[in-house]
Amino acid sequence: MKKHKIEDIFSSMEDFSSVPPPELWSQIEEKLDKPKKKKRVVLWWSAAACLLLGLLLPSILHFTDSSENTNLNNGNIENSRNSVVIDKEKNHNSNSRNLDQNKNTGKTIDSLNGNATKNQFNNDSQIQAQETSVAETNSKSKTDKKDSKYSAPNSANTPNQSVAFQNSSSSEEKSNLKSSKKSNTNALNQSVAYQNSGSSEEKSVLKSSSKSILGNNSKTSNKGISEERVAFGKQSKFNSTAKKQLSNSIFEEQIAPKNNKNIAFNNQRYSVNNNSFTNSNAYNSNNAVSGKNENKRTDKAVIIKDDLKITNSLSKTDSVQLAELQNLEKGILSPEKQKEEKEKKDNLINKKERWAVAVFAGVASSENTKNEKTLGNVNDSKQSNSYGVKTKYSINNKWAVGSGLKISELGQSVANVSYVSAKNNAFFAPAASYADSSPVASSDPTRQEYFFVSNSTKEAMKNENVQTGKLDQNLRYVEMPLEVSYSVFNQNKARININTGGFVGKLISNNVALDGHSIGENMNANDYVYGSTLSSTVQYRVYKKTNVFVEPAVNYYINPLNSQSFNQFQWGLNFGLNVNF
Amino acid sequence: MNHFLKDELEKYIKLCMKNDREGQLKIYQLFSPVLYGICLKYMKNEDDAKDVFQEAFVIAFQKISQYKFEGSFEGWLKRIFINKLIETLNKKKKESFFLDVFDPDTDFVEEEELEAIPIEQEKLLEYIRDLPDQYRTVFNLYVFEKMKHKEIAELLKISEGTSKSNLNRAKHILQKRILSIKNFKTA
Repeated sequence: MKKHKIEDIFSSMEDFSSVPPPELWSQIEEKLDKPKKKKRVVLWWSAAACLLLGLLLPSILHFTDSSENTNLNNGNIENSRNSVVIDKEKNHNSNSRNLDQNKNTGKTIDSLNGNATKNQFNNDSQIQAQETSVAETNSKSKTDKKDSKYSAPNSANTPNQSVAFQNSSSSEEKSNLKSSKKSNTNALNQSVAYQNSGSSEEKSVLKSSSKSILGNNSKTSNKGISEERVAFGKQSKFNSTAKKQLSNSIFEEQIAPKNNKNIAFNNQRYSVNNNSFTNSNAYNSNNAVSGKNENKRTDKAVIIKDDLKITNSLSKTDSVQLAELQNLEKGILSPEKQKEEKEKKDNLINKKERWAVAVFAGVASSENTKNEKTLGNVNDSKQSNSYGVKTKYSINNKWAVGSGLKISELGQSVANVSYVSAKNNAFFAPAASYADSSPVASSDPTRQEYFFVSNSTKEAMKNENVQTGKLDQNLRYVEMPLEVSYSVFNQNKARININTGGFVGKLISNNVALDGHSIGENMNANDYVYGSTLSSTVQYRVYKKTNVFVEPAVNYYINPLNSQSFNQFQWGLNFGLNVNF
Repeated sequence: MNHFLKDELEKYIKLCMKNDREGQLKIYQLFSPVLYGICLKYMKNEDDAKDVFQEAFVIAFQKISQYKFEGSFEGWLKRIFINKLIETLNKKKKESFFLDVFDPDTDFVEEEELEAIPIEQEKLLEYIRDLPDQYRTVFNLYVFEKMKHKEIAELLKISEGTSKSNLNRAKHILQKRILSIKNFKTA
């Protein structure tokens, strides 16, 4: 006797089929009638969109305001180019403080009064008065407008360079978005399509046809007939048809040979279908004649005519139909089949775990691609740290969208920056001829002021008080990226994605340090920054739904500073952990 | 004829996309026996099979708009059902699902070729359903869905080795059952 493997013995079960109990359809119908649950995903994305909008609105307003500021600060623009404007916030500005300093001309009394922080330099012997208002930033409200007015030196005879900054009152605009929800209620009125009870003619036809078909299926047919007596609250079309184990279409005849002993089950199934063509048409024609069915009756009658025509041809070409039917259900075209198999794999894998949440931290280096210079010195790269959380939603096996929150730092170092410390030179003021040196007023009641000069000016000044140092600038942002991911590799536990998108960042820290000592803030830093990002995620599944990943990335910041050169590229390498669910 | 059948099927699918109950009924009547058969093969008892069958059909009707008329519609439906079945099995028996314990008695036993004995489908179904969940799932995917161990491993989140060993053990159990019938018959 020929020997078989287990697979061969069970191969007959490959196309095993069994007619489900008729009540299942009514249960499915009930579930289909229930209104769909609103997807939480939509809510989350709405929330994300609102958040994004909320972040964008103030920044748009900010841009509008800054354009106004530009008009106001015309006098100041010259000085702000290639210079570092330093402003230091101090809480104890309210305390008045007198400073007596001597320089050639005698005593100078510097009084700083109140929040307005007007500094008046009163000299007993001289009539010179220098009025400086210190730009003061309000730490509580980063969205404040900072308007400053520049007042020209009050005396042409004096070499003093006086710069006045005045804070204008800040205003904050808020916009409230109101959304109205509309609740839609869908009312589905299901009308009973037709009643079979009154149609004896139909029944007789069906019974006669079912006899031929149900030979191998006595169990199910009996069950079906017994079901006929059970009064369902709503007699559905399926119930009516299921009772007879027949349906009224070419496709509907799916009688399952539960007790079928023939291993070539598949063929039999289709042969049953073929037998049913005639029967179903007869059934349909009865429907048309009976004149009982309601609205869709005319449509049905048209179909029936077609069916009848084809029934004639069917009877002649049974064997051909058999093959065609098989091919139709199996996917006749081989390329289609291949595609289908591929889709099958993809869908099976991606059915679950659409969401992923990740935490990450890494190192970043702000770079300068254009060899930009500040005060005549090259902006060097600066290393910093970044960290954050992000979430990702897989649309399919290849594509995903993601967002999150990230703390990132953009910075630069400028070595050998020339400056003059006002501490040691209380009345140091560049000569008028050095106006192009872009001196910068820095005001800090507790520390010395610094005057930064460009390399060219340094040469011209030849002042022994000019010192050099390393200037570090750091801008820290909280960023919200919106990324699209494409999976380029997905094998076993490893996966490689390419991500791209944009981000919006809010300035949360602004620091300028000279030789390691903090000296203030960069006034030209924008509160909101935009940029684009490109990264690649290499991840590896370490445990069930947990992955570790490495993510090299490059970010481009569009507008970190107004009218100043700054490192705008950032290379980053993040390490993280993500969990799929 | 082929075009006619295809057109008819497409017509019903399009009706389903419009949430038309008549179209849904036609699709149900056409494919429910095969799909119910799959549910019976994967689930240990009939009640569970019914539950999954209902839920999967509801999902299929809700997602039918995602079907792009490319490839076999039956294949598309089967995928939905298999996904649902695996999801249900995973939820149901998380604690002991896919244990990967080496068993020298079964893992190294070579598959024995059996004499062909005519066995009824119902009996074969019974044997399959008597298998432990994890073995049954792997066996179904490998033998009936023609999936490779690599694919099964990815789908079930197990190693390829586990998949192979589960299949071997399933075959071993089935082999024993079939031999017992043979012995019974010869005796």
